Amino acid sequence: MADFKAASLRGALIAAAVLAAGPAFAQTPLRVGWNSELSGPWTFFGNACLDAARLAEGEVNAGKKIIELVVQDNQTNPAQAAAVSRALDTQEKVTMLSGPTNADTSLAVYGYAEENKVPFLVPVAAFPRLTRPGTTQTFRIEPDAVGWGYAAVKFLNTLKPGATIGIIMNDFAVHRAILAGLKYQAEKDGLKIVSEIVFPQSASDATVQVAQIRAKKPDYVIVAGGSAFDVTLTNQLLDVGFKPDQLYHPYGSTKQVLSWGPRSVGSYFGTFFDHNLETLTDTGKKFVENFRKAKGYAPGYVENYCYSTLYLLKEIVEKGATTRDAIRSALSAINTKEITTGIPIVFDKNGARMEYMYLQQIKEVSKDDFKASKINYIEWSPEVLPVYDLAP
Amino acid sequence: MDEFLLLTVSVITSGLLVGTIFSVVAAGLSLIHGTILLPQAANGQVFLGAGLLFWLFGTTFEWPLWVAVPLTFLAVAAFAFATERLVLRHFYPLKDRNISYLIITLGLAQILSGVYTGTFGKMTDTFQIVPPVTGFLVLEPFPISNARAIAFALAALVLVGLIVFLRMHRIGRALRAVFQNRDVARLRGINTPRIYRFAFLLGTMVTTAGGILYALAYALDLSVGWTMSLITFAIMIVGGPGSIVGALCVGLVFGFTQAIVSVIADPTIATFAYLLAMLAMLFVRPSGLFAR
Repeated sequence: MADFKAASLRGALIAAAVLAAGPAFAQTPLRVGWNSELSGPWTFFGNACLDAARLAEGEVNAGKKIIELVVQDNQTNPAQAAAVSRALDTQEKVTMLSGPTNADTSLAVYGYAEENKVPFLVPVAAFPRLTRPGTTQTFRIEPDAVGWGYAAVKFLNTLKPGATIGIIMNDFAVHRAILAGLKYQAEKDGLKIVSEIVFPQSASDATVQVAQIRAKKPDYVIVAGGSAFDVTLTNQLLDVGFKPDQLYHPYGSTKQVLSWGPRSVGSYFGTFFDHNLETLTDTGKKFVENFRKAKGYAPGYVENYCYSTLYLLKEIVEKGATTRDAIRSALSAINTKEITTGIPIVFDKNGARMEYMYLQQIKEVSKDDFKASKINYIEWSPEVLPVYDLAP
Repeated sequence: MDEFLLLTVSVITSGLLVGTIFSVVAAGLSLIHGTILLPQAANGQVFLGAGLLFWLFGTTFEWPLWVAVPLTFLAVAAFAFATERLVLRHFYPLKDRNISYLIITLGLAQILSGVYTGTFGKMTDTFQIVPPVTGFLVLEPFPISNARAIAFALAALVLVGLIVFLRMHRIGRALRAVFQNRDVARLRGINTPRIYRFAFLLGTMVTTAGGILYALAYALDLSVGWTMSLITFAIMIVGGPGSIVGALCVGLVFGFTQAIVSVIADPTIATFAYLLAMLAMLFVRPSGLFAR
């Protein structure tokens, strides 16, 4: 009888502990500091990302609240991004950081996160330095930009082996990384770069430069301008007689493709998500539908990464990771699939994701939508390129 | 030879197009500064606002050109009228008002920039109008789009119209009299506050024309306003405040220097080269090439 009493008592204590732990887990959602560009030059990307993250937050928390986004604006300013990181950490007591969509602000958050041992999950920022060797707190969902250059070469080589290419782009950190990957791989794969033109960030006209490129008669032109200049470059290349299917854009979001317009039908672009993909998962299709209903345009890769980030966090919370150490360990060990595309999410020892890219061709562009078809899909390990030497 | 011809034609078209459009915006600035002693630091944001409104009416709302263009001018004119009435006119009696104006218009530039970010910035990051005309003007061997050719022709027309107006029209001559000597103009019976008001409205409308023409020739984003501010200020100072001919000449020097240096060096060096060219001109005429 005494044994029974002791056993009952033990059982009751264990049950009480489990019950106590259960509600505690349910009542304390993971607080994620969302440090993003809600004003300043990157406003559109910061807001588009937050819109998608909010959509996912609503879905993830439909049953019980497991994730709470604590949103603050970094004004697209690296100093402000560092200050916001500190405020989110010390005042808001968030468990981890996420949210930036810009290379410069992400690097500022990276500095804070690494120094103060706060897990940092970067949804959209491709500058390789974010996952340089020795990184312990930062995990980047978007493949690095050196790889985008690699993908461009691999793709153009399938269209025409040994093709000649012209390069025309703005001088941004991300573009420098693309250029580094491109030149490295072009040399290896026998693609010949016949013209390379880099503009300062404030450029507005490219009349002379497109003439210079035309004089070299390349098979393909790789074009990457910043914001408005991207459209100007594209239009001016088409004006001087390049055919759309001679143009390759190393990356393309929905709004970018819409800005290139109907003249660009036939052009190629690289991306990590396209609402036209037939391989989207059911969740991916639902995301496209819901986002389009809410915002009036189909989501692109920026919106997709921000949406998927919340589902990735849900997965690690459901595995019981709610403390900083546990989140770090869970992200390091994660081997899952992106909720919208089914593409693997695995991070290497530096927090960089396995690389991949869809190569799309534009088929139709209207005012609010475009159609594109998948021409190719490339996957590779970040280690096939000396990424951190090429873009230190 | 083919390559030489191709590059020569491209340099000429680029120099003319960039030069005239930037000259138009600098002319607006020059009119205002030359008359009111108002270094309009918000000029670039006014230029951007005009382009964005033109995009909103013409491309987003899909209103026809004959509605979108006048509506853009009307909206910016209403803004200019309110700014003049509520803020600027209170400083007319001050002799050393230019520093006050600089501070005020810098603040205005920041406010406008914030407004654009909070409104247009949430819609997209690139503002590209659907060109009202398609096709090309082929200057063998170099085709330029008709939209750009029209933008150049209209920019040239605005500048010529402005020069003719200032020389031939009664109000234009009164404006020039104020440029040259405010006190004598007042003694000759010119109502200077009225001329100030008119100059601010006219200068702002010229800047608006520049914004619309730029949107016709190129795409816009929210950073263009600051770039335009800096370059047009330099053009105005070197050309001589109040001089439309000065703005045109220095604007063309800016356009051609950029185009030529781009060919012989690269586009990054070209952005420094035009500043050097302007500096050299200031050494020759420190008060501006066409200053009175």
